[in-house]
Amino acid sequence: MFRSIINNRIKFVFLVVITIFLIVIIRVFYIQVIEYKKLSSLAESLWSRNLPVQADRGRILDRNGLVIAGNVTTSSLVLIPVQIKNKEEVAKNLAEILGVTYEEMYKHVSKKTSIERVHPEGRDLSYEVAEKINDLGYDGVYLLKETKRSYPYEEVLSHVIGYVGIDNQGLSGLELMYDKYLTGSDGSIKYYSDGKGNKLSLPEIYNSPQSGFDINLTIDLNLQLVLENELNKAMKKYEAEGAIGIVMNPKTGEVLAMSSKPSFNPANYQDYSKETINRNLAIWSSYEPGSTFKILTLAAAINEGVVNIFEDHYYDSGKINVSGSTLHCWKPEGHGEETFLQVVENSCNPGFVVLGQRLGKEKLFKYIDLFGFGKKTGIDLNGESKGIIFNLDNVGPLELATTAFGQGVSVTAIGQVNAVSAIVNEGAMYKPFVVKGISESDTGVMIEEYKPTLVSQNLIKKETSDLVKYALESVVANGSGHNAYIEGYRVGGKTGTAQKVGSDGHYMVGNYILSFMGIIPANDPEFVVYIAVDGAHNVTQYGGSVSAPIAKSVMNSIISLYNLPPDPEGMPRSYLWYEQKYITLPNVVGMNKTEARDMLNGLTIEYSGTGEKVASMSPEANTRVKEGSIVKLLLN
Amino acid sequence: MKDKILKITVIILSLFGLLMIYSSSYIWADFKYNNPYKFVINQGIFLVIGIILMHVVSKIDYKLYKKHASIILLLGVILLILVLIPGLGIVRNGSRSWFGIGSLGVQPSELSKIALVIFVSKYLEKNDKDKKMTLNFILPILLVIMFSFFLIMLEPDFGTGMVIVLSLLVLIFITGTNFTIFIKLGILGLIGIVLLVIIAPYRLKRITSFLNPWSDPLGSGFQIIQSLYAIGPGGLLGFGFTSSRQKHFYLPEPQTDFIFSIISEEFGFLGVLIVSFLFITIFYRVVKISIDKEDLFGKYLSFGLSFMLIFQTLLNLAVVTGLIPVTGVTLPFISYGGTSLLVSMIEIGIILNIGSQK
Repeated sequence: MFRSIINNRIKFVFLVVITIFLIVIIRVFYIQVIEYKKLSSLAESLWSRNLPVQADRGRILDRNGLVIAGNVTTSSLVLIPVQIKNKEEVAKNLAEILGVTYEEMYKHVSKKTSIERVHPEGRDLSYEVAEKINDLGYDGVYLLKETKRSYPYEEVLSHVIGYVGIDNQGLSGLELMYDKYLTGSDGSIKYYSDGKGNKLSLPEIYNSPQSGFDINLTIDLNLQLVLENELNKAMKKYEAEGAIGIVMNPKTGEVLAMSSKPSFNPANYQDYSKETINRNLAIWSSYEPGSTFKILTLAAAINEGVVNIFEDHYYDSGKINVSGSTLHCWKPEGHGEETFLQVVENSCNPGFVVLGQRLGKEKLFKYIDLFGFGKKTGIDLNGESKGIIFNLDNVGPLELATTAFGQGVSVTAIGQVNAVSAIVNEGAMYKPFVVKGISESDTGVMIEEYKPTLVSQNLIKKETSDLVKYALESVVANGSGHNAYIEGYRVGGKTGTAQKVGSDGHYMVGNYILSFMGIIPANDPEFVVYIAVDGAHNVTQYGGSVSAPIAKSVMNSIISLYNLPPDPEGMPRSYLWYEQKYITLPNVVGMNKTEARDMLNGLTIEYSGTGEKVASMSPEANTRVKEGSIVKLLLN
Repeated sequence: MKDKILKITVIILSLFGLLMIYSSSYIWADFKYNNPYKFVINQGIFLVIGIILMHVVSKIDYKLYKKHASIILLLGVILLILVLIPGLGIVRNGSRSWFGIGSLGVQPSELSKIALVIFVSKYLEKNDKDKKMTLNFILPILLVIMFSFFLIMLEPDFGTGMVIVLSLLVLIFITGTNFTIFIKLGILGLIGIVLLVIIAPYRLKRITSFLNPWSDPLGSGFQIIQSLYAIGPGGLLGFGFTSSRQKHFYLPEPQTDFIFSIISEEFGFLGVLIVSFLFITIFYRVVKISIDKEDLFGKYLSFGLSFMLIFQTLLNLAVVTGLIPVTGVTLPFISYGGTSLLVSMIEIGIILNIGSQK
């Protein structure tokens, strides 16, 4: 039966054909269903062209949301030459609007490239120009949003903030450290094109750019502005080489202001030397602190019970002999007989040598270590230094003596602020920080919040802390810090005058770092203010004369910015012979002549008019005037 | 008994093909000829002629072809030789396989398909008694087939050549002749391929590039990648009629070899299922006719013609979906091409006549 063999073979072939069809169908199913996503996205990128839409970089905000680093938006012209139909007409109109020659513009519109940017005439377009180009409505002519970093306050906080490069990428400071957060994701205008690059009439898809996250600082811009202004003035006035200022809340570690001079404008950082833009002196520079370091020696001595600052006395002859070497007090003739409180007020070096000797090197250096000297504070900024402290094994009597009054050690400004904050904050040390949190830029919702970090506590007894604060207040009221005294407020502080070590390893002549460490309110400090001026000229080389007044201005601003209430409990000011005493004028209007004269004791009175009663007074009541000033009374 | 289902299926499939030619070609047609309807009008004319021809041929007694088989083959061979002569034959896409008549073209290799199937069917019927003596039975007809293949390869048109040779081998296979000869032929073919690869190793790379077209995306992998970019995004239901993206100058000449990619893109997996179903229906109806046919010549002729169509279909689908390397064959009834459509319609006409005779 050959017929059946043939038919069987036909059936066999038919089955083979059906099988191959099934394979093809399975293959198509695999391509269209299993591989769908992969192939679709590949094909999508083949069909579509993306015009980039730049995302805003996240802003850097102060603690109250004021913008320290923001963005400016501009438009730039982008051409897609294959889509431009009437090249002559487009070139002519664009050339006219942008003020470019027709020939040049024609080159742009007919260039053989997928996307052509008109540089530089087509960038940074003003709103009006952009509007005109938009109104032309040509195919293939696009305006793209571009965004650029802007620093509205120019040099303010420059070392902390850092700067960005040409592509808005963070290159230093917070801009670099938080670049990941600050950088947004660019969006795009996506349009479909055919294989030859012509635009298809499918709708464009706009992917909106995602702005970067905002960085919220602990910095108070208003206070920062005051600090910068004061330091700038000092730099100019004293022709100084540099200056540092830090304001910190000792109870949290929040840095409220931080400035290093010379500073730079991040918008054109290229114009400054590498040293200027890269060194945040407040955390980088380490130097001999001088007398501000005595706060630590004092705290250690009180805490260890080796001194009673009120009862114990010391006779300062102007020098002290330590294992064969003679150490001098800054006052050549010496301070004479004094209590240890007065030793602090006078910043008497031999007195502190004695405190150091009473402590012994183990105890003093234990406190140096406890309060973080010789280590980084861990502030959330790049470029912090450790400072240099003697190795305990190498400390002899002389090293112990100099360390006690702040010589022979090297510390950073932030390290000192950190230590003093812990001392006045009852021995609780918080890590200094400048970034409070990271938030979404459009909603302000915090995505990350950084809380104060308690590093250690009970470093000293509360009583010790109280006594040190009292001593510091006394320094300002009665001693070397009097230039920082603010009438009606409680200010504490300590001056510092440190000789600088030159490149040859020896102390430089006549070149000092003049500093002041202040606290306010002195009984319960909420602000630690540190000011240091490096290499000041034309001035008496004492911290009390240069840095204390700067600190005072800053603290005055703190009083008004934070509405600190006056505190009548403060120590009254004692006056030096060359200083004027101020009197608040009482109201004498309506009194008779003799009553008024008694009230205005210490002032020179000039009468005008005749009669017994005071009709008016000049200056008016409640004005503060110098002792002995003239007060005019009109009688009737 | 006329096979209405076969006839209607063929007409539905070719009408659908006409729509797809419009959809896939209007971009290119507008670009090249400034007339988006250029291809669809041409093909429309051929379709009308084709349907008429199918009808006419279905009335012609197929036994007539048996009588004139030798003359028909001779004519076919003469045409295949003539087309190789420069001046007579026109080169298109690198092959001298066209006679030009105005903007229309005629492909003699398409015409020779019918001639060869007729001749081979007649030979197989005539020598039916000898089919046990495999070599004697096969050798003479193999020589005829290989000679035609040789002529077609001179154009060169590898795709059509392969369709003809393999279809005729399958036709010989169904006569019931010794199975082992085909295994031997297959081994011989494999040895030939291995030899070709050893002589020129780059061929292996070309053969394997279809496995991973992305290894050479701008060269040998280009067409298949573009095809996958059409098929893949089509998904289950496709972008819809005329909404293909790949026809916008991405897939080259989408109205010919790769029209199935555009179908997949516009109608998705569902469209693919429907088109496959229509092709299977056609083949199934013809296979039924062949099996029912008592007359050996009619049996062979109907099966041979339909297998040639379905084999070309599978070859095209396998290429388009990246299952085998690009061979350059069109999709019967659907791809743009006048001669191909007319020949297909004539073949169906012949089959219809075979089916209509008891």
